[in-house]
Amino acid sequence: MRRVIILLLTQVLLWAVLAELNHGLAGWQLHVFGGALFVVYPALHLGRGEGLLVAGWAGLLCDAHAPVAFGTHGLLFAAAHLLLFRARERMPRHDPISQILVVLFTNLALFLGLSLLRLPVAPAPGGAWGRLLPDLLASQLTLAVVAVWFLALQDRLVRLGDAWAELRGHRG
Amino acid sequence: MPFKRFTQANPLLTLGLVVAVWLLLPTALKTLARASFFELTAPVTLAASKVRDLQDFWALRARSRTELIEAGRDLARVNASFELAVQQNEELRAEVARLEELLRLPPLRDHRLEHARVARRDFSGWWQRIVIRKGRDHGIPAGAPVVFSGGVVGRVSEVHATTAVVELISSPTMRLAGVVEGDTRPISFQGGINPTLAPPRGVVELMPLDIIANPAAPKRLVTAGFGGVFPPGLTLGTIIRADLASDGLFKSGEVELDPRLGTLTEVSVLVPAPPAAAPVRPAP
Repeated sequence: MRRVIILLLTQVLLWAVLAELNHGLAGWQLHVFGGALFVVYPALHLGRGEGLLVAGWAGLLCDAHAPVAFGTHGLLFAAAHLLLFRARERMPRHDPISQILVVLFTNLALFLGLSLLRLPVAPAPGGAWGRLLPDLLASQLTLAVVAVWFLALQDRLVRLGDAWAELRGHRG
Repeated sequence: MPFKRFTQANPLLTLGLVVAVWLLLPTALKTLARASFFELTAPVTLAASKVRDLQDFWALRARSRTELIEAGRDLARVNASFELAVQQNEELRAEVARLEELLRLPPLRDHRLEHARVARRDFSGWWQRIVIRKGRDHGIPAGAPVVFSGGVVGRVSEVHATTAVVELISSPTMRLAGVVEGDTRPISFQGGINPTLAPPRGVVELMPLDIIANPAAPKRLVTAGFGGVFPPGLTLGTIIRADLASDGLFKSGEVELDPRLGTLTEVSVLVPAPPAAAPVRPAP
């Protein structure tokens, strides 16, 4: 449970950073979607139940700030978590390049999933891709830059939490 | 089979079960959960906004006195012209009241202006929203129109204790009735696809055939005032293109919205004033 709480706090941090970034980019009509960063670490390093809890919680956090049916992000993130969890034994999950690739592919899938859910409300669904493509490019570029840092931050905080618990165990 | 082993063997079936349970959850519970998650992160949004204000404050303190004196002089000029406009406005209000009394018309709905700072902007290709730093505690109701000096900003879509979410007119889900300035026939306006590095856009439909608009002769689109939410005459944008629609009965076109929508820092919410008590008329 300690690991889950640490990761939930990092999710709030990530959400706040993305919100600030998007606030700044609004003037240029640009948006960065970083859904994969909420999902990848729990899916690659946590147990199935714990990871699902973290991914679902992050999804609901995103849902609360989006005009979508409550649970849309939650279910997308949960699905991404389960798929990544199934495949994690077959991928070098500690290699930074692999981590970046996993983040980018997961983000692409989540972005497309959300776009397909939102397109029917657009006045010209076909033309909407002209706007979504720059958003996707900006998102993937941003994630390629920050993914390794954020995954390392999560990893370091989880290890610190483990070490602290171990120390308390020895003292106790 | 124990539940743990079932979830490990059938993760996708487990996901399906989770989806089914989620769909069956009562709406009230989901609404409560959404509000709780929003309120949980509201302090983060507000703190970030106040830090930004503090940054602006310190940046402004770095300005020279000469710049401040010049800004004060410009402001005094603007104030003088506004004072004149206020006087004219009062005369017009009195005229409207006289005509209402004469024609025994129901009075137009009055609004109170509630100014609010913008705490967060969220302009994606899927939706366009802002979060303002006033909410239920300041008497902001859901559905209230939001305006700024350039015209309509949008409509309050969610109200929380100290914040409110405003759906912008550039959002694809936003629809309202407008009229071309000087015309009375209603036109359907919808927020549109907002291209990157360009002003926000919207679309108009059901436009009468005799209205001609193109980049050389654009037409100003204003609120129609139907439905009682938006007062009439507020600027929505400029119609820059109008072509014959596929049905051949109406035109459809493109509306350019105010480019400042993407950089708003302060807006005003039009809070409907409570209906005034009907004046007691003397018996004939």
